[in-house]
Amino acid sequence: MRKTLIILGLICATLCVVLSVLPLYKLSFIPAVLALGFGAAAIYFSNKHHKSKKTIHLVFLLSIIGMSVSIFKTVTETSEIGDTEVLNKKVQESEEDSKEILEELDIEIE
Amino acid sequence: MKQLFSVILLLVTCYTFSQNTTIASGEKLKFSATYNMSGLLTELAEVTMETSSVKTSKTTLLRLKCTAATYSQWDGFFKIRDLYESYVSPKYLTPYLYKRDINEGGYYKFMQYKFSHKKGSVSSLKKKRNSKGEIYKKEKTIPISKNVKDIVTTIYHLRNLSLDQAKVGDSQTFKVLFDNIEYSLTISMMGKETISTAIGSKECYKLGLSINNSDVLKGSTNLLWLTADKNKIPVYAKFKIAVGNGELKIKSATGLKY
Repeated sequence: MRKTLIILGLICATLCVVLSVLPLYKLSFIPAVLALGFGAAAIYFSNKHHKSKKTIHLVFLLSIIGMSVSIFKTVTETSEIGDTEVLNKKVQESEEDSKEILEELDIEIE
Repeated sequence: MKQLFSVILLLVTCYTFSQNTTIASGEKLKFSATYNMSGLLTELAEVTMETSSVKTSKTTLLRLKCTAATYSQWDGFFKIRDLYESYVSPKYLTPYLYKRDINEGGYYKFMQYKFSHKKGSVSSLKKKRNSKGEIYKKEKTIPISKNVKDIVTTIYHLRNLSLDQAKVGDSQTFKVLFDNIEYSLTISMMGKETISTAIGSKECYKLGLSINNSDVLKGSTNLLWLTADKNKIPVYAKFKIAVGNGELKIKSATGLKY
């Protein structure tokens, strides 16, 4: 049971760190909470059977790092659209092209 | 006499409803597209819907333009730069020309429809990038049913529906041409709701959307909120996806008619 909890905790903590550096960083809170939960349960079993807690500390450390990165990004990052120069050019070109097409079309004037 | 009066009233009502009374040139709506999973919102892209007048030698048309661009943090992973536009009659929102130019994470596609309402057909032009990176063209003439609209015009057309007279449970079906296929889009009235938006707290019509013959927008979990005023601004939309929800939230609305 203890080993299973540690493995699950490590998987979740790693996932948390990976997600925290991606644009979907807000989702890293889900594996972080799970990793902390698995870690806490693993600590309980380790205390009960007097076993080593070093790997569990790693689970906590990774979760805290992941969460810290995500919190930092949540506070500091603002959503701004990237370079739209090409899109703006395309919009203009499309309008010019459309005008030519519309001239050829048989439009019923209402 | 009574029956004749009823028929005249119905015809006058239908004529009035088919007219564009909501959309004016110069309107600009900005939305934020977000992905919501268990309440954790991730902003993905900005969607802009704009209207402007376009003059030709014969007439003046209304250009309905929709653009979507991912936020800078997403550009390195999956860059989206989409352009959808439709040229319609300002009075009835009848589409004459539709263009869809999408560039999504390296995937490129262009669709163009030239509507011929007299002939009841659409001349379609498709441009796509093949596996070698070359762009190929495909032209086709598609017969269409009466009142078929493209996706952009349909979105704007929804704002011209007389929703104040609709009862909860009422529904209406529209024919939408997308990717050379005619789809049936059913809109159902789900009631009124007051929701908090970036442009203030608004009383809205809550509409359910579903496409009958497609895997996209299936079921009754796709919702659209239109303000319950003369402008009928789409302020919020919620779409069910495989995991979580996709959401579209209004950021700003300028150049409105009323």
